Amino acid sequence: MSVSNEATGWSCSACGGELEIMKVGFTYMKGNFEVELPACRNCGMVLVSEELATGKMADAERILEDK
Amino acid sequence: MTETVNSNITATESLCPHCLTRIQAERRLEGDDVFLVKNCPEHGEFRTPVWRGEPSLSGWSRPKKTVHIGSHMPLEARGCPFDCGICSGHRQQSCTVLIEVTSRCNLACPFCFAAAGAQAGADPSLSVIERWYRTALEKSGPHNIVQLSGGEATLRNDLPAIITMGRDLGFPYIQLNSNGVRLAADPAYAGELKRAGLFSVFLQFDGTDDFIYQAIRGRALLDEKLKAINNCAAAGLGVVLVPTIVPGVNSENIGAILKLAMELAPGVRGVHFQPASYFGRHPKVPEAYDHLTLPDLMRAIELQTNGLMLTEHFSPPGCEHPLCSFHGNFLRLPSGELKSLTTKGAECAIENVGTGRAVSYVAQQWSAPAQTNCCCGSNSLDAFLENHRTNTFAVSAMAFQDVWNLDLERVQECCIHVVAPDGRMIPFCLYNLTSIEGIPLYRKKSC
Repeated sequence: MSVSNEATGWSCSACGGELEIMKVGFTYMKGNFEVELPACRNCGMVLVSEELATGKMADAERILEDK
Repeated sequence: MTETVNSNITATESLCPHCLTRIQAERRLEGDDVFLVKNCPEHGEFRTPVWRGEPSLSGWSRPKKTVHIGSHMPLEARGCPFDCGICSGHRQQSCTVLIEVTSRCNLACPFCFAAAGAQAGADPSLSVIERWYRTALEKSGPHNIVQLSGGEATLRNDLPAIITMGRDLGFPYIQLNSNGVRLAADPAYAGELKRAGLFSVFLQFDGTDDFIYQAIRGRALLDEKLKAINNCAAAGLGVVLVPTIVPGVNSENIGAILKLAMELAPGVRGVHFQPASYFGRHPKVPEAYDHLTLPDLMRAIELQTNGLMLTEHFSPPGCEHPLCSFHGNFLRLPSGELKSLTTKGAECAIENVGTGRAVSYVAQQWSAPAQTNCCCGSNSLDAFLENHRTNTFAVSAMAFQDVWNLDLERVQECCIHVVAPDGRMIPFCLYNLTSIEGIPLYRKKSC
């Protein structure tokens, strides 16, 4: 699924706003990363897909934690 | 089949080096060393070192499950190793499948497991090769690295078509096993293979000095090897250097090979050592010191890299038998230092899904790094992960078995299989095994 498709069909549970693709910053153990993700245009709540969480983010976490 | 006779002796089976009769054998622990000892009623006792010194064999293994390949050849009831195809007694699935696309070669190496070049037969047609691909697909699925070998596979002008055929049939990872002569001579050739769908080159690379090539390959080759590496790197093909280590010839060059390989990284993705085995064409009957064992090699790496790589950085295999291989991954740091990335996690086999993931992991490490900067900027997650992969360097080794150290328990856990001309899938070592008189167990019998 493309990133732009991931944003469609979702609304923010916190404020009800629509999601759109935004450049989102992550910080973890001195590592700062930018990823384009669906996020709420009103309050900034971010949707992280399971694929990203268990894939690339988990890979980065393992590298940073030196596991 | 294997049973422990006492704490220092484990029973297994092997073959007589002369008559290839199956005979009882023992792994005997003597001090820090392990010997394979076997006795043929007709030809006497044979004793070959299979493990020398630290790390001790007793602590060198990883848990794994038995995996049977789904489709078996009908047994001829002669038992292992005579009914290979794979038979129902085999306990491991393939992770690498070799397809020999020619028996011709442009070198005449004193060491050659395939005894290639002399009396080469006609090349198999594309339709025959397609049948072999389909055999591998049926028996082991697509989650393998398919290695196109020979002879010297680049002698076939239709090699790009063979590569593309494999990709079209569903194999994601097609690798070329090559001496590099054509890759060096024709700068455009590597690009042609890359466009056809090749991901990596297993490059025969025995040392950093031409006297080594003179001894093992019959002529000076270092310049050609370096040109081949440059051409592959420029084309975006990952290169794994594959030294055959012959004690007394290049066993003191191991550290120099690693040093040069790291200088040539990230185009060179790693080094895969293969201690010389005495099957096919080789200069003489081996003495005990001619069999370099895995711990010999690990300690040589530690000594000759001045401790940059340590024995403890290497892990036993999660796929094949513990006596067959080791591997370690390292991260090249900007300071020039190395950081070990060795983990004790699962590497291979276990189940279909696991094998697929493991093969994907190895294949990604052996693939060339991305040639363009990520569009998302240097601090993107993709760029971070790609940078890590680019700077990861793999060091591994595989100890093949010859008629001297053949251990049928190891064979039954082999995951490197050759597709024989008649469609049987045969463990690499058995396929290439020859008696002391040069009689093959399998090669050419299957034609």
